Amino acid sequence: IYQCLSCNKHRSNNSRQRLLRLKYFLYFYYFQIFCLQTKKVTQMMEWTSKRSVIRMNGDKFRRFVKAPPRNYSVVIMFTALQPQRQCGVCKQADEEFQVLANSWRYSSAFTNKVFFATVDFDEGSDVFQMLSMNSAPTFLHFPAKGKPRKTDTYELQVRGFAAEQLARWVADRTDVQIRIIRPPNYAGPLLLGFLLAVIGGLAYLRRHNLEFLFNKNVWAFSALCFVLIMTSGQMWNHIRGPPYAHKNPSTGQVSYIHGSSQAQFVAETHIVLLFNAAVTMGMVLLCEAATSDLDIGKRKIMCVAGIGLVMLFFSWLLSVFRAKYHGYPYR
Amino acid sequence: CCGLGMWRMSSLLSFSILFLACLAGFSSRLFAVIRFESIIHEFDPWFNYRSTHHLTTNGFYEFLNWFDERAWYPLGRIVGGTVYPGLMVTAGLIHYMLNLLHITVHIRDVCVFLAPVFSGLTAISTFLLTRELWNQGAGLLAACFIAIVPGYISRSVAGSFDNEGIAIFALQFTYYLWVKSVKTGSVFWAIGCCLSYFYMVSAWGGYVFIINLIPLHVFVLMLMQRYSRRVYIAYSTFYIVGLVLSMQIPFVGFQPIRTSEHMAAAGVFALLQAYAFLQYLKDRLTRQEFQTLFLLGVSLAAGVVFLTVIYLTYTGLYAKIHIPIIASVSEHQPTTWVSFFFDLHILVCTFPAGLWFCIKNVNDERVFVALYAISAVYFAGVMVRLMLTLTPVVCMLSAVAFSSVFEHYMGDDTKREKPPQEKAEEGLGPNVKSIVTMLMLMLLMMFAVHCTWVTSNAYSSPSVVLASYNHDGTRNILDDFREAYYWLRQNTDEHARVMSWWDYGYQIAGMANRTTLVDNNTWNNSHIALVGKAMSSNESAAYEIMRSLDVDYVLIIFGGVIGYSGDDINKFLWMVRIAEGEHPKDIRESDYFTPQGEFRVDKAGSPTLLNCLMYKMSYYRFGEMQLDFRTPPGFDRTRNAEIGNKDIKFKHLEEAFTSEHWLVRIYKVKSLDNREPLDHKLRSVVPRQKYTSKKVTGLLYVCT
Repeated sequence: IYQCLSCNKHRSNNSRQRLLRLKYFLYFYYFQIFCLQTKKVTQMMEWTSKRSVIRMNGDKFRRFVKAPPRNYSVVIMFTALQPQRQCGVCKQADEEFQVLANSWRYSSAFTNKVFFATVDFDEGSDVFQMLSMNSAPTFLHFPAKGKPRKTDTYELQVRGFAAEQLARWVADRTDVQIRIIRPPNYAGPLLLGFLLAVIGGLAYLRRHNLEFLFNKNVWAFSALCFVLIMTSGQMWNHIRGPPYAHKNPSTGQVSYIHGSSQAQFVAETHIVLLFNAAVTMGMVLLCEAATSDLDIGKRKIMCVAGIGLVMLFFSWLLSVFRAKYHGYPYR
Repeated sequence: CCGLGMWRMSSLLSFSILFLACLAGFSSRLFAVIRFESIIHEFDPWFNYRSTHHLTTNGFYEFLNWFDERAWYPLGRIVGGTVYPGLMVTAGLIHYMLNLLHITVHIRDVCVFLAPVFSGLTAISTFLLTRELWNQGAGLLAACFIAIVPGYISRSVAGSFDNEGIAIFALQFTYYLWVKSVKTGSVFWAIGCCLSYFYMVSAWGGYVFIINLIPLHVFVLMLMQRYSRRVYIAYSTFYIVGLVLSMQIPFVGFQPIRTSEHMAAAGVFALLQAYAFLQYLKDRLTRQEFQTLFLLGVSLAAGVVFLTVIYLTYTGLYAKIHIPIIASVSEHQPTTWVSFFFDLHILVCTFPAGLWFCIKNVNDERVFVALYAISAVYFAGVMVRLMLTLTPVVCMLSAVAFSSVFEHYMGDDTKREKPPQEKAEEGLGPNVKSIVTMLMLMLLMMFAVHCTWVTSNAYSSPSVVLASYNHDGTRNILDDFREAYYWLRQNTDEHARVMSWWDYGYQIAGMANRTTLVDNNTWNNSHIALVGKAMSSNESAAYEIMRSLDVDYVLIIFGGVIGYSGDDINKFLWMVRIAEGEHPKDIRESDYFTPQGEFRVDKAGSPTLLNCLMYKMSYYRFGEMQLDFRTPPGFDRTRNAEIGNKDIKFKHLEEAFTSEHWLVRIYKVKSLDNREPLDHKLRSVVPRQKYTSKKVTGLLYVCT
């Protein structure tokens, strides 16, 4: 339009009136655009106030994202959440996206510059066709000005879908810094409280007979459990989250032991825990056999069982270790 | 008479066994010295050595007030107030004593052999502690175990001149004195415990483990209603005197009364006083039920406080794990079961049995060892370097398990002296007994063999000097590091500033005696990020950073020629990550990956990577080099790829030195040219087209 105006100015010596009319028309036009924009922003804000991620179908998408007058960025997750689609990743990604959107919605820096929306394949398959997209979940950013560029597509394969990574991407694309605030997980403390309540209740019920608190076997057994859990690398599992076992996709063979000494599967740690426990039990049996006041036959059996447990399970443990630690020379 | 003879015999035997254990411990730590030479290992020990050297040449006060202007250029580092001085003072003291006796040894040799000597002392203190907990036999076994167990050797081979080497001795000795003072309830032993604790505080940051474990012991004793005056005397003395002494170390300062790690000790101290006061009242009052209720309430509240403190420290630790610079250190990783087995072998499966016996036959000090085991095993599970604190207790408890088995299966000689009716009741039979004994001894022999193998193969590399073996077993020594550092020392200006990644800071300072920008004391993340940014930017952007930091030389480690995997290209992503943490606008990790998300140095690698300073410095002129006839020129043996950018030219840097196997490359940063050459094209002499429009030509003339 501005070009038009300048063209007019140059090309001909038209009357001033016509120019003025055009000017008014332009003002009116801008005003209209402004009105439309404000209307759209108010609508978007209203939706966002209801739920931090706006659900969109094809129609809404065209009106609020595709159609031009727009002064806000929209970050859209294209997904397929319907159960019949069987998209497990979508669900996890959706949770992270919700965390991101909520962190933005309830932060003090919340403005109408960025909105978060989602398009489900079963509600807006036409959108998927329009953008020629055939995988879900996908995160796209529609900037306020200009067309989406290559970097406006989130590299899901590279960066993963953690909310923190998404927030960095959003900050990169829109200059809006979002501090991720995860809703605290109350399950752990609640469970602990429940457990404590149960124990307290039991103690109260049996308050005349608190013998079980002084039972050394119980304490020794729980200490042993803790120690065995720790020495079999369960803490590593907790922090790193490895798979339970690995299934070779071509042969279908399931391997329970990880080939490298730097990593481990969950199944493997359970096996090791069992082996360690068996060796410990063998040692204890050996001592019991020598000290207990059972008859001699039983004690002999205990003794043989004890030494058998120690030797057998220790040699198995050693062979598992050998399989993992390449170049270990001893059997 | 006969009894005395037996006693003499057994004490002679104990003495010789202990002596042999110390000797075995000492000599199995000498692999590195025999294979290479008497040299300080790795990274941190170089700093310790340098400070010890400073201490012996300039005296103690000069050392305490030392401001090191050669590190963290241009910031410098206050060394006296930011180190645990115990190690340096110990080495300095030994050096002083030896010189006083006219045994003239160099301070370097004192430093190299300090850790093996202290491992002998650790064996003795472990013996003493285990003897207090169980019996003499278990003590001797524990001493033998700790002398050779890889989990402890990993930090105390000859040449590894580090805090942990002496700290484990201090830890065990403090615990011994603590157990002794709880047993006797005498102030004498408690003061001894405090002095040992003071030594521990001066030596290692791990003293926090002691100041939490001892209060925990007291707290559990109170819960178990095993409170006694002995505990009261021991803990009150220990807490007050230990607190005052620990605050004398400049680096610790007021931390013991400020930070959350120390609050548990203060809480237990207050609780103990309250408990003692109530006990005192109890003798005079009759309302016992009220009291017990009150007690229960108090102990519950204290327990809650205690748990909260532990929870807070745990979350704090957890948060620290996620900072890139901490995550980049491999020692801060959780522990797999393989490392447990690798470092402890048979002990890892038998020490739960020892724990079982201790809890079954519980007394005051066995409560202590059980708590020690449980807390140490937790920390060892979270962080692999804390395996070191677990190792002593594992040795002690395994010794308890083995010694209880041996006690019952080896001792048929003494049984014969007993009356015959008892013998009939006894008797698993000598065959079974000897078989069990033989098998157990076989296990222990396997343990000894494993320990020797691990020590010789995994823990005895100085990592300053590398060795490679040919097919026929002959050995090549790769001495590139020292070659390069010596070059720096001889050929550069005394005040030249060398930029390198922080891993090599201490070595450059120690061996080349040149100023560094960042080093292994990673106290200033933004400074490290700046170096990381320079390494990961392109040459002209890096030049600006290097100019602003006054860099004269850049040193990098490149392993592509010999296949050394710990080089800078393999560490490069951490540099990018740390730089990105501080400069997210300029450095992005994703730029260094291919679109498929791979980190590749060949043609398919990302262009940002192929043109960044680190890449260019690593592979400068590498494209001309053909290592053997099966591979193309420029084939990187570490990453098994032909490099993607063979035509590397520098504008602001020049190659200054490359070591024999290309392991260390040093570049000189050129100073600014007199005049910035302009990148203009040659003037063309072809006459321009005439423009027909007059109006516009005027405008164009102005433009040109």
